[in-house]
Order: sequence, then C-alpha cells, then structure tokens
Amino acid sequence: MGACASEALCCEIVGMDYERGMQPTEAKHSAREDGEPTLSVESVSKQFVRRSLWRRRRADASAPAALRDVSLRVAPGEMVGILGPNGAGKTTLLRIIATLLHPTTGRVRICGRDAFLEPQRARSLAGLVTCDERSFYWRLTGRQNLRFFAALYGLTKQEFRTRAEELLETTGLADAVDRPYYGYSAGMKQKLAIIRGLLSEPRLVLYDEPTRSLDPLSTQNIRRWIARKRRHSPQQAHVIATNQLEEAEQLCDRVLILNRGSLIAHGTIDEIRHRWQQSSYDEYHIALRDSQGDVAERVSRLSGVFAVERSPGDDGLVTLRLRLSRGGAALSAAMRLLLDGGATIVHCEAQKVGFDDVFCALVLGDPPAAASTPGKGNGG
Amino acid sequence: MILAWEFFKRDAVTALSYRTSFLVQLLGNLLVLGVFYYVGRTIGAAEIPALKDYGGSYLAFLLIGIALTDCVGVSLTTFARQIREAQMTGALEATLMSPVSLSRILIYSSLWGYFFSAVRFVLYLVIGAVLYGVRMSDAHVTTASVLFLLVVLCFAGIGMAWAAVVLLIKRGEAVMTVAGYLVVLLSGVLFPTQVLPEWLQRLAELVPLTHALEGMRLALLQGQGFGPLAGTILTLCGFAVALLAGGLLAFNASVRATKKTGSLTEF
Repeated sequence: MGACASEALCCEIVGMDYERGMQPTEAKHSAREDGEPTLSVESVSKQFVRRSLWRRRRADASAPAALRDVSLRVAPGEMVGILGPNGAGKTTLLRIIATLLHPTTGRVRICGRDAFLEPQRARSLAGLVTCDERSFYWRLTGRQNLRFFAALYGLTKQEFRTRAEELLETTGLADAVDRPYYGYSAGMKQKLAIIRGLLSEPRLVLYDEPTRSLDPLSTQNIRRWIARKRRHSPQQAHVIATNQLEEAEQLCDRVLILNRGSLIAHGTIDEIRHRWQQSSYDEYHIALRDSQGDVAERVSRLSGVFAVERSPGDDGLVTLRLRLSRGGAALSAAMRLLLDGGATIVHCEAQKVGFDDVFCALVLGDPPAAASTPGKGNGG
Repeated sequence: MILAWEFFKRDAVTALSYRTSFLVQLLGNLLVLGVFYYVGRTIGAAEIPALKDYGGSYLAFLLIGIALTDCVGVSLTTFARQIREAQMTGALEATLMSPVSLSRILIYSSLWGYFFSAVRFVLYLVIGAVLYGVRMSDAHVTTASVLFLLVVLCFAGIGMAWAAVVLLIKRGEAVMTVAGYLVVLLSGVLFPTQVLPEWLQRLAELVPLTHALEGMRLALLQGQGFGPLAGTILTLCGFAVALLAGGLLAFNASVRATKKTGSLTEF
C-alpha cells in the first residue's frame, strides 16, 4: 500500500479528515469529555538533540522526531494503553508526562497543573510504575524501600502504615516485605514497584510495561491485581505503555497506537478493529470436502478475493481461510464456485480479526486488503 | 527533617550492609594516620621556621591537614558520586518522579557521607591527641567547628558544580583526581604555603581550603578564637555563599539541559 493510502486509512481510524492532511491528532476520551481531564497532553513533540561539551550540534530538522504532535486526554477513572512497536515513542511520551523529559514543543497538564511550570505539584499527582527492577535500593528491605519513597511523597508514618499494609495484603507481599530486596523474585519486585507507584494515592498512575519479563502466572496475577485496584479507586486514571496487546485488551478502556512518534490510531480496541476491518476485508473459515482438489486455486482467481489459504485436515476435510472484500458479493461468488465445483460445504464461520493482525497492519501501513491484489490470492 | 532522616537512613543501612568494605575503609583511614605519624616523627626532629605560627610540630600540622582534606574530599565527590550511583543503579528515575526537587535530593543524599567524614575527622584528632601526643588542650573547639562547617559548605558548592558536569559528561573521575592533587598542592595540606613560589601563593589564596586549614590549625593548636580569626571566617563565608549559589545554579541548569537531551538517567 502506498504512503497516501496508508495515511488515508490511519486518518479514518483516528477520525480525522484526510483532506486536511496530517493535522495534530488528538486521542480524546469518548464518554467523559465534559469534566477536567486527569491528564491532558497537547500537541507534544520531541526531537532529541545531543549536546557535547566539545561540539555544539544543532537540531537537525530532518532528524526523525521521537514524538510528533501527539495529543491525548485521559479522564478520571480511565485506563488508556499506549501501544506501538519498539522505538515508536511510548516510553518517551510516558517520560514526558512524568516530567522526566522536556518536550520540544507542546504541553502536559496533570489535573490542570502544567507539568513544566509546576513540575513538583504535577509530580505529586502522579505515580510511576517502571519495569526496571533496579529502581529500588537492593540492600534495603521491601519495607525500608517503600518507607523511603513514601517519605519522598510526604506521607506521614500513619499514612504509610495504613496504605502500605493494605497494598501489601492485596498483593500478597506482606510476608516478604521485611526481606532484603535483592532476594525478591521478578514478580515480587514488580509488585513492589506497583505498590510504590500507588502508595501516594496519585490521581494518575503511569505504568511502563508493568509485566515485562514476568512469567505467565505472575503476569496474570499482576494484571488481575491492577484491574482489582482500579475498581477500588474509580477516580484514579491510568496510562499504561505496553508491548503486550493482550494486556491492553484485558485492562484498557482505550488505546492509542504510536508509530515512529506519530499517533496512528486511537479508540477502544473493538473500535480500532472494526474501523480497520471496514476498510479492509472479511475473513471466513470454510470447512469442505473437495473432490477435485483445486478449489483454492479457482477461488483465488475470483474478484474480491484477497487471500486464500488451504489446510487439509486429518478427517478428509479441507479448511479454506478466505479474506474477501466486504459486502458479501465475494463470499457469494466463492460459495457458488465451490458448490458448482462439486465441493460439499460442511461449515462456514466468519472470523473476528485478531487485534495483533490489526496492530501489525497499522504499524506497517500495509493492511492485508492491499497487500494482495484482489483476484490474485495465494491459493493452496 | 523526616525526609532528610530517611535519606540518611537509606545510605547508612546501605553502607553498613557491606560490612567488610565498611571496616576495611575505616582501617585504611587509620593506616594513613600511621604512615603520616612516622613522616611527622622523621621531620619533627628538624626545626621548621614556617611551622612556628602553629606551634612548631609537623605531626600536628600534618594531622589537621589530612583530617580536613578528608572532609573536603567527601564534599568534592559525594554529590557527583550519588548522582552517578543513582544513574547506574537505576534508582534516579524513581526518585526524580517524586515531588521533591533534585537539589534537595542531592543535598540529603550527601548527609551520610558528611556524617561519616565528620566522625573520621574527630577520630583523626582523638587518635592524634591520645596516641601521638599532639597537644590540643587549648583548642578553641567552637571556632574550629565553624571553620569546619564553612569549608564543607564551600566545597559542597564546588561538589555540586562538579555533579552538574558529571550529569553532562557522565564520567569524570580523572578530572576530580587532578583537582584533588591541585588542592593538596596549593592549600598547605602537607606543607605550609609559605614554601610555595609567590605566584602559587597568590593562587592558593583562591582555594577555600587554604584559609580553612590556616584557621583550623590556629584554632586547634594555638587556641585562637573568633576575634583573631574573624578575617578568615568572613573570607570563608564569602566563598561559601558564592560557591553554594554557583553550584546550585550550575546543577539546576545541568538538570534542565539533560531533561532536554533525554540523558538525565543515562550513564
């Protein structure tokens, strides 16, 4: 797919008028636009300029920007996922929101506080959960670590005790909290990082890949716990940068997808999938008995057929995976051809396109609908 | 205060958890004293006119020089080391996410280092007085304490400025080593500054440690108080204000620059 068509697709997905070109894209919260957002990111761009004491380098306008004109609003109680391939700008965006990095242009507000004019006030409203297990003091116990970070947030002893106990109980870390941090497993370290992020009861919690490098069991535990914690604090907003799409599907109300620093899609996962599918194809799995053996080849030549995959099964049935243009005409034509060719159709099922397929296609700017020219599918 | 205490506790627990390293470090300090004791005894027999103002004992002269230089060394390096360690251990980002300013974090992070250096300073003097017979019975302790505080503040300013540079260049141990030797050469740690050529003596006037050592020796060995040492104290006050302000400004500018380049947590 050409760049133009790719842009058109992306613009449609983010609800943008393609004729206006690549205007600043804004991922707005859908249902709660009236109140003040917990997080407001306005046209943030970031271009890294390396400075040397020996040589002064100027910003190169042609150098790729880490972020381009990204806007985002997160309402109280929402959980928004930031998705994108490696190097897309997810962590850069998160670090800008966390005031650890200054944007080249644009503005970030947390509960109305400008993150760059009032960084300390903004930081007091946010908590960061990193995936970096080195972000604790290894010689200290879990409790000593938590107490230290609680003091940084100005918590009194009583506040610390109450909150830490509650969080430790719900995460199951209470028994291990007086052990040195260096003896913790990866899952325990991650739980401690989450407790630290939530200890100050921030209005906004930022997660940077909270389940990276965890085993499936710990991953599930952490996700369940985040979901549970979210239900208990309905006013708390969450932004989670992750590479794990199923994590976003499980946890997030909305996601935004970044690629090469630009926002290429946003909405609920179903909305993104639906919009993308509307502009691309339907997928059907048809189980049949093929007496002649060349049906896939013949179907692939039909107009409106993008791709055909044929997989023979042990039971004598053949499964055809068809990607067809939307509207039903291509499906009717394919069915007719199969029946006329003597095949017996045992089962036909419309497939829900996996979000990982949608994600890959969006990032590559190359949805399968355009990857294969209609009528020239890869049969058999 | 609670926050300062938490920083102190964090660093104390960490330092004391490496027991062997902690004890060996302490032993090393005592060994240095042993070495200088014999140097002092060897030279002590000779009449040195330049030491007359300080009571004439080279061992006493050396002891105070070494003790104070140790504290100054902590001031010079502790801030940069804290930043570098936090960058390398990965704790810097989590700490910086808190609503506490980086300058405060930096100052609080140095408390354990200062405490430990003050303990060493007192230990040096006590060992010198008890074991080596250095006479400090007339010492004006209050004046000595004020001088100690002032020289620590002066070098804290330089240390912060150095931490600012380390934030930008990441590694700078070699520069600090050279600077340390320069301070030792100019400020009269091992020998009186009067033996230096005149142009070096003028340069030495620009080093706060020169004034602090002069004042400290006179306060501890000759029992001079605030009156006779008012000039030295005022000079050190001037240095302290200028260097602290400069150090903080440089550090904050450096933080802003690294937040722009994204290299704040790089190492």
